[in-house]
Amino acid sequence: MLRASRGQHQVQGAKRSWNVVVFSVGGIRLAARTEDVGGVSPWTQTIQVPSGTPFVRAILKRDNRAMPVYDLAERLNRTVQGDPLLCLEVRHLDGPMAICIDADVPSLETVEVAAIRSSGGRDIESLGSVTIGEHDVTIVALQRLGRSIQDAVTR
Amino acid sequence: MSLRGRQNSTTRPLQTASFLVVRVGLSYLALPATGVRGVLTSEEAGHEQTVTEAGSVYRQVDLARQLSIVADLSGPEMRTVLYSTGRSQGAMAVEQVVGLIDVEPNECLPLPAQFRGDERNWFGGMMLYQDQLVLILNPSWALGELSSAEAAPRGQVEQSMRATPVTLGESC
Repeated sequence: MLRASRGQHQVQGAKRSWNVVVFSVGGIRLAARTEDVGGVSPWTQTIQVPSGTPFVRAILKRDNRAMPVYDLAERLNRTVQGDPLLCLEVRHLDGPMAICIDADVPSLETVEVAAIRSSGGRDIESLGSVTIGEHDVTIVALQRLGRSIQDAVTR
Repeated sequence: MSLRGRQNSTTRPLQTASFLVVRVGLSYLALPATGVRGVLTSEEAGHEQTVTEAGSVYRQVDLARQLSIVADLSGPEMRTVLYSTGRSQGAMAVEQVVGLIDVEPNECLPLPAQFRGDERNWFGGMMLYQDQLVLILNPSWALGELSSAEAAPRGQVEQSMRATPVTLGESC
């Protein structure tokens, strides 16, 4: 469930550009490398889990799999928007993980590595930020999402 | 995974583990059945700090508070589960006793590694039962046998999780 941008079909030079998925959470546009995304699907009801881990307090059951849910909207102090909401499946270092995102269907974009700025500008694990259209978009490091804040909590 | 009665336990396969599934708030919890000493109604359990049954004393354990779960323990299906680990004994109030289940090792799943906090002491793992997710409660923690000082160091836990990211059966 992804929209392709017009330039997506262009042949990419090795390591000189990244394919990213652009999505939004609470109206904030974010991006992630395509290899960090397992898929996008409709959001379904989650099961609450008593937990002391920041922003990880639920599990999403899909078929015979159970994925932990990372509440990215809460971390960004936002509320997800639209209906139906979508599920971004993340290829996290600790295993598959689900994030609830806005109903806006994510799009595929290609960004030049040289155009990526080092600072994400948000208090979140990021690979930098880039301008897409007129928006300054943080590229979220989905693979290690939650790790730095957890380390800070337990330090 | 099947729901069964208390009788007929000798016919179950050797490799299965038995759990008493209970509900507290919206959470379904599984207690290893070997430690269950009895299930009492609220009238039978009374309102004292301890419950005495068959000569043993069980102190009240507030499972809902320990897990920060909002629970209504005034309903007609509320029960008190008497539990013993061998070292400690406790009386746990639950909203509902769902039943006894036999679980094969490959039906038990470790808690996903993204859960990195105290909940790793609270739960030994999880399983999918009907449409529900059932968390396998660590009775030693519930009965207060684990202090924070005894909890495994974080690095040790992480190392273990990386080594066995999706090990099946370990939790049973």
